[in-house]
Amino acid sequence: MDTTRRGFLGAIGKVTIGAAASVAGASQVAEAAQTDTPTAVPHWGMVVDLRKCIGCQACTVACIMENDVPQDAFRTHVSVYELVKDGQDPAMVMLPRLCNHCDDPPCLPVCPVEATFKIDSGEVLVDASKCVGCGYCVQACPYDARFINHETQVADKCTFCFHRTQAGLLPACVETCVGGARNFGDLNDPESEVSKMLAHNEVSVLRPEMHTNPNVYYIGLDDVLDGRVAGEAAYHSEMADSVSSHEEGL
Amino acid sequence: MQVQVHELVGAVHEAAWLPWAVQYFFLIAISSTALLMALPAFVLGRTGDLPKARLALMVAVTTGIVAPVALLADLHQPFRFWEFFVYTHTTSWMAWGAWIVPSYVALLLAFAWAIHRPAFYAMGQENWRFAWLFRLLALKGEANGFARLLGLGAGLAALGILLYTGTEVAVVRARPLWNTPLLPLQFAATGFVGALGVMLVLERVLNRDGALEESLNRGLVFALAVVGGLGIIWFTVARSGLSPAHTQALASVAGFPIWKQIAAWGALAIVVPFVLALVAPRNTGWATGLIAIHAAWMFRWTVFMGGQAVPKVGSGLYDALLPSGFDGLMGVIGTFGLWIFLLIAYTTFFPWADATPPVGRRPTTPAHPARSV
Repeated sequence: MDTTRRGFLGAIGKVTIGAAASVAGASQVAEAAQTDTPTAVPHWGMVVDLRKCIGCQACTVACIMENDVPQDAFRTHVSVYELVKDGQDPAMVMLPRLCNHCDDPPCLPVCPVEATFKIDSGEVLVDASKCVGCGYCVQACPYDARFINHETQVADKCTFCFHRTQAGLLPACVETCVGGARNFGDLNDPESEVSKMLAHNEVSVLRPEMHTNPNVYYIGLDDVLDGRVAGEAAYHSEMADSVSSHEEGL
Repeated sequence: MQVQVHELVGAVHEAAWLPWAVQYFFLIAISSTALLMALPAFVLGRTGDLPKARLALMVAVTTGIVAPVALLADLHQPFRFWEFFVYTHTTSWMAWGAWIVPSYVALLLAFAWAIHRPAFYAMGQENWRFAWLFRLLALKGEANGFARLLGLGAGLAALGILLYTGTEVAVVRARPLWNTPLLPLQFAATGFVGALGVMLVLERVLNRDGALEESLNRGLVFALAVVGGLGIIWFTVARSGLSPAHTQALASVAGFPIWKQIAAWGALAIVVPFVLALVAPRNTGWATGLIAIHAAWMFRWTVFMGGQAVPKVGSGLYDALLPSGFDGLMGVIGTFGLWIFLLIAYTTFFPWADATPPVGRRPTTPAHPARSV
C-alpha cells in the first residue's frame, strides 16, 4: 500500500498545480523513504515562505485532526500580527510556529529519563511510554513548542508527522498548506526543493541567539518577530490588562 | 525605525509547573536550611544553640517529608517516578535531584531518629499506653554516637539539595527570569529566611522563650540582609548591563505594572521584618516570622508562576501568575495541611524538646523525657 501511495503522490505531483510545493516535497520524502543505503539518511527540515502564508490556519486544523491534539493546545499554529512601520499603512504578517527540531535541542539534555530523543533523520521525538510528565522540557524549549497533553499526561509536540514521513507522506500541515508556504524535505539532498530554497533565498530562524540550530527556516521573517514579540498581545490576561503594549526593554 | 506590533492571533501557553512545584521548592528549601541550622548543636556539640536546634530539627523533618509529596504531585505521571532511577539522564539536573532528594530525606530521618533514640528508649521502658511503640522505635537500644556521622551526611545532602534546586532552574535559558547565576544563592538565602520564619512562629506557639525569639530574630536580620544584598546586586548588574543574563531577565518583565508592584511588595516583605527584628528582637516573633514565611514563599511563587507567565515568543503575559481551580488551590492548601498535621503529630508524639547532642555511651538510667501523650 505504501508503494502505491507513493506512486500515487508522485503521479499527482506531476499534474497538480495548487499543491505543487507540497507534492514535490512528497516525492522527495518517498524517494528518501525508499532508499535504504546508510549514506542516504535524510535530514528533514522545513522552509516556510512567509510571502505565501495567508494565515488560513488550515495547517493548524490539519495538525489537530492528524495528531489528535487536545482542544487546549497546539502542535502548530499561525500567529498573526499587524505591523505598522514609521506610521505607514499597517501590514498583516503571518508566522507559522512549530517545533524547530533543533540540531542542538535544549529540551533533550534536561529530560531526566531520556524520554526526549533525536533520531538520525533530525526529528526530535518523545517516547510517550517513558515520559514522566515533569514538564522540564516544556520549560527548556525556547519556542513554546511543547506542552503537557492533558489527555495523555505526557509531553507533546510536533513530530514533523513522523508516522507520515515513515510512510512516504508529507507532514499534514505541509500537505494541507493552501498557499504552498510550508515546504518540507531533505536538507542533506542538494537537489531537494528545500535545499534549493535555502540556497536561493535569504532565510532566518527564530531566536537565533539561543544557538539551537533549528531545522525550520523562514523566508521573509521580519526581525521584530524572530524572538519574543514586543507589542500589544491578542490575549489580555488579568495581570497585563493595564498595559497597552510591552516594549521589551528597560 | 519605529515599529508597532499588534498580535492579532496567538496561542496562550499554560504553566507546566503548577503550584505544587512552588510548594516543593518552598518546603525543601526550608527543610535543608533548617537542618543546616540544627547541625552546630547536634553535631558540633554547641549546647548553647540547643533550643534553636530542636526547633530547626523539627522544622527540617516535617517539611522534609511533605516536600517530596508535593514534588510527586507535580509530575503528570506520578506512578512513573521509578523511571527516574532506571533511566537516569546524567545531563539533567532533575535526574540528579531524583537521587539527591531521597538520599537527603533518608539521611535526615535517620539523623532525627538517632538524635531522639535515647528518649525513645526511655519512653519504651515506662509503663504507659504507647510504650510498645517507642520500644519499636528505639530498636532495642539507646546508643546514638553514630548520629554525628548521619548529621554530616544529611548536611552534605542538604547542600546538594540547595545546589540542585537552584541550578535546575537557573540553567533554563529559555526563561530569562530563571536563567540568572544569582538564582541558586537567592533560593538558598530565602530558604534560610523561610526556615527562620517558621521557627519564630513555632517558638511563639511552643516555647515563648524571649531569649530564643531574640536569637532567631537576629538570625533573621542576617538572612534578610543577605537576601536584600543579593536583590540589590541582581538589580544593579541588570541595570548596568554587567551581566547580560540579568539584563535580559529584567527586560523580560520591565514595563508591566504588575511586576513593578511585585518588586515593591517583595522589597517591603524584606525591609519590614528586617527593621522589626533589628529594632525589637523580642515580642515581634509573630510578625517577623509570618512575614518571613510569606517572603520566602512569595519569592518562589513569583519566580515559578511569574516566570511561566512570560511568553517565550508571544506578546504580553499569560495568566500563570494567578492560577485558580483545583491545581492552583489544592496544591497549596493540601501541602500546608499535610505539614500542619505532621507538625502536630511530631510535637505530640516525639520528645522533641529533650533532644540533646549524641554521646558515645549512655548511662544506664536515662533522664526522664517529657512525655506528651
